[in-house]
Amino acid sequence: MNDLDKLKDHFKGFKNFDFISNESLQSRTDAFDRFCKKGIPNLKQEHWKYSPLSKDLVHFEDLKFSKNEDKSYDKSHLEAFDHYPVLVKDGFLISEQVSEEGLEITKYNKEYFYEIQKNQILDFNNAFFMPGFEIKIAKDYKVKKPIVIYNFFSKKFEGNNINNKSFIYLDKNSKAEIYEKNIFEGEQFLFFTKNLEIELEENAHLVKYYLNSTNKNTTIYNFIRSKLQKSSVFEKFNFSHNVSSCRDEIISDLNGRDAFVSLNNIQHLSQKCFHEIKWEINHNEENTKSSQFVKSALHDESVAAFQGKIYVNSKAQKTDGYQLSRALLLSDQSKFLAKPELEIYADDVKCSHGSSSGSIDQESIFYLRSRGISEQEAKKMMIEGFLAEVINKIKNENIKNIFYSKLNEINQSS
Amino acid sequence: MIDIKNLKVSVEDKDIIKGLNLKINKGEVHAIMGPNGSGKSTLSYALSGKEGYEAEGEINYNGENILELNTEERAQKGIFLAFQYPIEIPGVFTNNFLRTSLNSVKKAKGEKELNAVEFLNLVKEKSEKLKIDKEMLSRPLNVGFSGGEKKRNEILQMSLLEPNFVIMDETDSGLDIDALKIVSNGVNAMRSPKRSFLIITHYQRLLNYIKPDFVHVFSDGKIVESGDWKLALELENDGYAKFVS
Repeated sequence: MNDLDKLKDHFKGFKNFDFISNESLQSRTDAFDRFCKKGIPNLKQEHWKYSPLSKDLVHFEDLKFSKNEDKSYDKSHLEAFDHYPVLVKDGFLISEQVSEEGLEITKYNKEYFYEIQKNQILDFNNAFFMPGFEIKIAKDYKVKKPIVIYNFFSKKFEGNNINNKSFIYLDKNSKAEIYEKNIFEGEQFLFFTKNLEIELEENAHLVKYYLNSTNKNTTIYNFIRSKLQKSSVFEKFNFSHNVSSCRDEIISDLNGRDAFVSLNNIQHLSQKCFHEIKWEINHNEENTKSSQFVKSALHDESVAAFQGKIYVNSKAQKTDGYQLSRALLLSDQSKFLAKPELEIYADDVKCSHGSSSGSIDQESIFYLRSRGISEQEAKKMMIEGFLAEVINKIKNENIKNIFYSKLNEINQSS
Repeated sequence: MIDIKNLKVSVEDKDIIKGLNLKINKGEVHAIMGPNGSGKSTLSYALSGKEGYEAEGEINYNGENILELNTEERAQKGIFLAFQYPIEIPGVFTNNFLRTSLNSVKKAKGEKELNAVEFLNLVKEKSEKLKIDKEMLSRPLNVGFSGGEKKRNEILQMSLLEPNFVIMDETDSGLDIDALKIVSNGVNAMRSPKRSFLIITHYQRLLNYIKPDFVHVFSDGKIVESGDWKLALELENDGYAKFVS
């Protein structure tokens, strides 16, 4: 991606795809120009200092875009519990639209572009995105069953770059639960960016779960911008398991009193996996509350990074901001990079942050072994118990079970 | 049952146990008493095969020298250490731990493992006897347990695993009289002609509740005096002074 001339050719070709509207063309071109000016992320840029993307994007010399017309998918991946499925295959929404009392799921059709100065991958996404989904929940409507988003990456996909833009909107007093998972069918090299915008109106409540599990050769950039109005709640539970190279970035703006955001992430990595979390919470209004909770178990030569920022505007008095990250280093070669940031301009606030990393407690292992449990099993129990602290906060039993069985699956194979 | 011959144990190149000989027959209860720093806890860890405890000599258990066996292998063969300070493990739930432990031991013995229902019935029966609240079992292992709850949990584990040889390391520490009675009753209920106990303690107090067949005085890594339970009374009156060089 370093060769600008190659990229410009790509953009020329990309512009001819039929899904690109005339209206968006200028914005896409502007975004592309911005990206070209900024160049790909590198380790010298503070915003990308701890990012796997800074290392991995140079390997994508030739980007290739493709549209897979085949809409078939492996139904065995569908969850057994009652839900609304949203199927996305190789970047495109392939499931039928849903339009019923209070719930609308359609193809992404929003024309909304904005720039974040230090974030050139957002510009990249804005230039090259394919339409994902829009989920809209009407005022006072509580969605009766979870919405499940399936991101299929097929074996037959001929390109190596997918960029996707989606939108979730909850009107006043509405409530929804959304579970999203990635399904990688092949092992081809792929650079995937996802740009999700979330807007929560007054008293809306969104719980979002994301399982990002086992891929090889895929470099992923997940970007979420969430805006919370008065008394709205956004809860997020991420399970990042053996993702070879991924950055999860969330910006959450608490724009109304009593808004609350809770971000939770499990990082369970082995081999040379590299997962980065970058969260930024902006307390822009009084009495807003935030919580960040990360637990990481790192095997082999894996690396996990966590950068969590709490920003408190001068008018955001009575802010309550909490942040905790704990890492279990399970080999001498694994690494945990933590960088908590607090930027506070109000004087009556409560903000706390903590970060720790260490190896597994040998006294605990001895205790378990003294009860006949093998050393390997004891370690598994300890790791599972350590990570389960995040899962235990999940209230939806179906999702909780999915996350738990994932934990068991990992433990059995590691 | 247990025949320890010339056991020497060092930790980080420091000699702690310096030639211990002790024979415990089936059904016997032995008490080891000694001052602080005499190596009592080291003995309990060495018997359960803790890493970092370099042992030489012989620990013959049912005719087999178990010195080379690791901790879980010894536990699976029926050796149980009741901890002085049971470890708190957040995230590992007590029920789940108990079942994993019991089934690990059963599996090693070639017995049928218990399913969830069978296990819950068994644990219910055992825990009621020890006045253990059901709620306690659904909490993370030993986390936030009182001193008494932790020790009762140790006895519960013992009664589930039904070991042949039990080492009790300062079990009375941190217990009030009521808890001490519950724990002692639990231990006494487990006494049988097939099972042996080694009780390690500072004080004679516990021995009022669990009456030993033999008492040994442990000092500077060795047994310096042996007798029946009256020796414990003597120690209580006279202290360890005459045994400490």
